[in-house]
Amino acid sequence: MLLSRFWYLILSFALGTAVGVLFIAQSYYNRNTERWMNEALAADASAVGWYLKDDARNRAAALLPVSLAPKIREALAKANESDEVGKDTRAKAKEGLVKAIEGIPAEQKFYAVWAVDQDGRVIAATGFEHKDDWNIGGHAVVADALAGWIRDDTWIFKKEELYRVVARPVERDGGGEPIGAIVGIYALDRGYAQAVSERTGAAVAFYALGTQVWSYGPEGFTSSNFEVLRTDLKEAEVTEEYAQKGRSKVRKPRADLGFIYTRIPGEAWDLQSGYVVGRQVRFIETPQAFFDAADQTDKDTSPTYVLVGIALGLGLLGILFSVFEHTLPLRTFKNEAARFAVAKTDTLAPSRFRGLYKKIAADINDGVDKVLSKGGITRRAADLEQVIGPLPAQPQMSAFAVPGEASPPSAPSAPGAPPAPAASGSGSFQRPPVPEKRVPAPPPKPSRGGMPAVPGPPPRAPEPDDEAAAVSAPAAPASRPMDELAEWKLVYEEFLKVKKQCGEPTESLTFEKFKGTLERNKAALVARHNCSAVKFTVYVKDGKAALRASPVK
Amino acid sequence: MRTALASVAVLFLVPTAVLAATAKGRVVNTQDLLNPVWNEAKDPNARRYTFREPASSVPPDARILRGHLSKELCLVALQDGAQPLKTPLRIKISGGRTSFVTLVVPPGQEIRFENHDPTPHAIYEVSGAGGFTKGNMQPDGARSWTPPGPGKYEIRDELSPSLRAWVVVEPKAMKSVYPNRKGEFAMELEPGSYELRGYYNGEPVGEPLPVEIKPAPAEQQLPNPLKVGADKKKEDEAKKDEPAKAGG
Repeated sequence: MLLSRFWYLILSFALGTAVGVLFIAQSYYNRNTERWMNEALAADASAVGWYLKDDARNRAAALLPVSLAPKIREALAKANESDEVGKDTRAKAKEGLVKAIEGIPAEQKFYAVWAVDQDGRVIAATGFEHKDDWNIGGHAVVADALAGWIRDDTWIFKKEELYRVVARPVERDGGGEPIGAIVGIYALDRGYAQAVSERTGAAVAFYALGTQVWSYGPEGFTSSNFEVLRTDLKEAEVTEEYAQKGRSKVRKPRADLGFIYTRIPGEAWDLQSGYVVGRQVRFIETPQAFFDAADQTDKDTSPTYVLVGIALGLGLLGILFSVFEHTLPLRTFKNEAARFAVAKTDTLAPSRFRGLYKKIAADINDGVDKVLSKGGITRRAADLEQVIGPLPAQPQMSAFAVPGEASPPSAPSAPGAPPAPAASGSGSFQRPPVPEKRVPAPPPKPSRGGMPAVPGPPPRAPEPDDEAAAVSAPAAPASRPMDELAEWKLVYEEFLKVKKQCGEPTESLTFEKFKGTLERNKAALVARHNCSAVKFTVYVKDGKAALRASPVK
Repeated sequence: MRTALASVAVLFLVPTAVLAATAKGRVVNTQDLLNPVWNEAKDPNARRYTFREPASSVPPDARILRGHLSKELCLVALQDGAQPLKTPLRIKISGGRTSFVTLVVPPGQEIRFENHDPTPHAIYEVSGAGGFTKGNMQPDGARSWTPPGPGKYEIRDELSPSLRAWVVVEPKAMKSVYPNRKGEFAMELEPGSYELRGYYNGEPVGEPLPVEIKPAPAEQQLPNPLKVGADKKKEDEAKKDEPAKAGG
């Protein structure tokens, strides 16, 4: 049962390990997912910031041809000389402006472009209607452009939406102070959010005055996720990172949603305005959720046949272990017990069983012995080999072996090897017991079931089995005390005599070897039968000399 | 053609029985005057831009950000007995600032702020002492306010951070004008003694200039310029002396 039990243990450990690995995998997955989300959000926020800056630079460069348009420069120069700007001047500037902006690439088109004189007055405009006296010189971006600088800005303009602004000076012929500036604005609307998202891969939303304005998300991210922005932004605004550095840490308005808020540089910096990037992830709540989270592609990558094979193989192995260690021994015991029940055998040979069945058989045998003894019946002398298992041929039986004999010596038993089953029918009870008989020459062959010994076949080369000793039923205590060594001497001499009668070699069988064998067998029998002594008698078995051991109570 | 006298004059109601003369003059030492909004916007730490770089075609000596005098430098003639106008003083809000940025008015002068921008504004007095609280002004909308008494009041806009204006209530503010880009100004004054003073960002700047307006002629050129800052030459010399003094 050792294998089966170990197998159950192994399977239990394997199952526990698998479940444990799933929990670890769940934690590992969630932790790495969150880390990935944080890193992706940080990268998204930076990417959007870089995009805004790079795009502003490109658009400022796109305004260079506009600022160099002759008509615009002439009109601005003229406007700077007068308090009131004439219509012809404005028309000329407008004509030059409209023509100049046609050369701006489509992806850099502006919502509106203004030509501004040194006082900040808007002399010409496209895309946005305004009053004639409109002056935008108060904005820092315009003031900077009028002072010879190129820069950008962000305004909240028209319907409280975010607009990016770029401005560059209009240079005077021959150098000197700029004669005006060209200012372009473009909306951070849904189209722009889409362009940002497509180029950066980020889900992005722009917000102004604390409210989401426009958003766009790539596939897998719905813009409605940004609806939590209004409430979450209020909490983000009070954090030190957002207030001081302009960028919040990763915020999680929902368990599966991450945001990073970034204030947008410009006048809108102080107006609860900026952009937010978002990422939505799926965390694994339980190990079972792995199966729900996995799509068909994931499942297809699983080595299903291998896993099924492993499961079947392990199960089959367990069944084999169970059959080998449980079913077969039980069946053997059952068969032997059945034979025992119908008296086909006189005893349950423990050597035929394994494990606990061996002990059960021995206990049954002992029980039967005791029951028989109570009824005045004694067991027939049992075959020593049957009781204690096959006697090793070497070195224990070397006392009975004849070196140089024709037959090959049997191989010594390996240490720890299970005992070979006893010869069929070699162990039995004999009712009533037959008194021991010294075997005359030619030695009779002992019969099974207590039949009188018959003359054996002609002497032949000894075999290890032939030298097996036997043990008889407990013998009556000796009537007279006898020196055991002297008795063994007599047995030795008789054994030699019978061997010679059977034609077996005896040259190498010394008394010392013989005595050693008897001592070992005696010790085994005394331990097993709890007897005080063992009586050895010589008989002929299968034409060979053999010893029979009888426990003496 | 823009003339030297294109400055905007703000007239206050003064009891008069004689014809006024036009005093013409110019302001000097304006090189250090700069709107704080623009000055702060230059600082990268102010986060007002993602990039700001010089236009290579503009010479470095011309690439200097200076104050817009015609909107920001208020020149005031000070004399006892100034009275406010009976009509509100109109101030336009347009393009990220008020026109004018600094006002110097006598007590009791009503000011009317008009929104000329296409976007709303929500101006308010910063200290709260002026009683001018936040109020939304839609495009073409207006709000009126009379400062409660002498002092300086700063006006800001909740929706437009670049807008910053100052109202100075000065009991002697007889008349205020704004110079043109060249620093020239013209001021209608009754004959008498005045003290001219420049105000920038709500504070008096430079040195007061005493002037005497005579009944005739109609146009009187002021003999001395109005200094609204330190002399540039003296400033340069002082800068040169500083290392020597430090070394000595």
